[in-house]
Amino acid sequence: MKKKMLAVILSMTMAAALLGGCGNEQKESSAAKEPAATEQPAPQADDPQAAKEPEEAGDNASSEENKPASGLVEGDFTIGISQFAQHGSLDNCREGFLTGLAEEGFIEGENLTVEYQNAEADMGIVNQIPQGFVSNKVDLICAIATPAAQSAYNAAMNSGIPVIYTAVNDPVGAELAKEDGMPVGEVTGTSDKLPVDAQLKMIRELLPDAKKIGIMYTTSEVNSESTIAEYEAAVGQYGFELVTTGINTTADAPLAADNLLSKVDCLNNLTDNTVVSALPTILDKANTQKIPVFGSEVEQVKIGCLASEGIDYYQLGIKTGKMAAQVLKGEKKASEIKMETITGSELYLNTKVADDLGISLPDDVKSRASETFTEIQMAE
Amino acid sequence: MGIILGVLEQGLIFGIMALGVYITYKILDFPDLTVDGSFPLGAAMSALLITHGVNPYLTLLISFAAGVLAGICTGLIHVKLKVRDLLSGIIMMTALYTINMVVAGKANVPLFSKETIFDNSFINNIFTGEMANFKTLIIVLILALACKFLLDAYLKTKSGFLLRAAGDNDVLVTSLAKDKGLVKIVGLAIANGLVALGGSVMAQQQRYFDISMGTGTIVIGLASVIIGISLLRGLTFLRSTTTVLIGSILYKACVAIALAKFPPTYMKLITAVLFLIILVISMQLKKKVKTND
Repeated sequence: MKKKMLAVILSMTMAAALLGGCGNEQKESSAAKEPAATEQPAPQADDPQAAKEPEEAGDNASSEENKPASGLVEGDFTIGISQFAQHGSLDNCREGFLTGLAEEGFIEGENLTVEYQNAEADMGIVNQIPQGFVSNKVDLICAIATPAAQSAYNAAMNSGIPVIYTAVNDPVGAELAKEDGMPVGEVTGTSDKLPVDAQLKMIRELLPDAKKIGIMYTTSEVNSESTIAEYEAAVGQYGFELVTTGINTTADAPLAADNLLSKVDCLNNLTDNTVVSALPTILDKANTQKIPVFGSEVEQVKIGCLASEGIDYYQLGIKTGKMAAQVLKGEKKASEIKMETITGSELYLNTKVADDLGISLPDDVKSRASETFTEIQMAE
Repeated sequence: MGIILGVLEQGLIFGIMALGVYITYKILDFPDLTVDGSFPLGAAMSALLITHGVNPYLTLLISFAAGVLAGICTGLIHVKLKVRDLLSGIIMMTALYTINMVVAGKANVPLFSKETIFDNSFINNIFTGEMANFKTLIIVLILALACKFLLDAYLKTKSGFLLRAAGDNDVLVTSLAKDKGLVKIVGLAIANGLVALGGSVMAQQQRYFDISMGTGTIVIGLASVIIGISLLRGLTFLRSTTTVLIGSILYKACVAIALAKFPPTYMKLITAVLFLIILVISMQLKKKVKTND
């Protein structure tokens, strides 16, 4: 009898240790993404944030070095951050958000307390997180990604706590904003809508003869569906034809990639979480067939996409942080601020990938790139 | 205070679902994975009907009916096509993913601007001022208790006794000249009906449907049933159905503690450890270890 109990306990502990192992791994990988930001504030070539805004990257390293333009805001503020999942872009959003707040005089550890929670993509927990924030009576909730934003708004609706969201692809479709972009309540923020036209234009410049673009997406992600609808409407103008394949899990990706690659001249990748997770597999298959893959943000170009005309999630976060600062200062109510979309886009290139594929990059494209990578970073 | 309120609300909503899992796992001894599909099925049904202006209370019943259909399908696959229990659940769960997508129309359907069972003029007139904070909890409590008492009443009927016999000793069911397959199908139907009802309530409480909201439902359901049944075994005056509801609340409390006290990365580990501690304590409490657990 004792033995049996021991066996049960042992097996549970092992299971728990396994879970713990996974957790740590994720943590390490997210830490490894910003080597320059966390270890030394000096600009380094492999870190886009440090290279572009050395002084802002310094904010991540230590808040003491930060010099807000307007000085510290009087008072003591508490905000809750509810992030849907651990993900390179979403993590960048969160860092940008805190930087944006710091620039406006809200510095974590001085006059700002930040309660950060991550739902690890669990829909039950994404609901519970904002409820906790509301009961702790935080001054503001920052929600990162669509389900987090919807849950936060639902939990905070009757308490009057403002919700600022970011990385919500389609706030109107998610019923967080009205058709004209004005909020439906004390909820506003920024959308991470992809610059579809800029991306198509760039693909046309790099591949003058390509006809068919393939996009793989996950059927469960509304963001991808709405982006694909935009691509469908726009591809004609640039003389492309669109071929799409839907998958349900990362396990479907290899087969779907084989199928898609047999039909298209190039692949285009969205910010689809599941597909991004499977990107190394897709890149591997595409490379053996010499089919270029385009990304939608800088992290994807780092690990081997040819190029991307995407948005900078760090900048998106900063913009969102400044919106939050307006609300915290009491200058405006969240319901008075229109939701925003980043209009400009940033071009990222990977010359190593171009060499491997035998594609020569036009000089004018090279010169307007925000950043050019010369090697392929191994995916974590 | 608010956090306790949140735990109770979430615990009771998932408790309705856990009552369904209790029927299959504990009474029928049937590990039914259909719930990962039938929970969002209820939610998808509600989302579809509410966006088309159907009375939200009526959607509860329709969602229940949809869950019943899903359960019948699992039962038919298992009984008539002789597919193993675990597999027939997996097959239905997989099929329901597409069904849910088709029913809801898209992967995420917001219900912010619609009337729900928690937010309509009738309810808002009853709960005014301070009471408004408790309206969700009260409505969920009424629903969960109604499900519990109806289930208790059902288990005392002839059909209910057959259901219990089918799990414990199916030879007895056959010897009573009853079809044990039919009894199983009935059990699965009621169980998945309750799970879908839980999904419907969940969607209306969180005010959106999301296709991925079913992932891991079975884990929450099993955890609630096991915590409830084994931890509260000593309290014989409580019915099993009551302990399942309490178990579900305890599970959500574990999650809330993990969320509040520890860094986000450790949440799953902390939940696992808390779950383990509860199980170990409950094993210490009971006199002898059951062999088939």
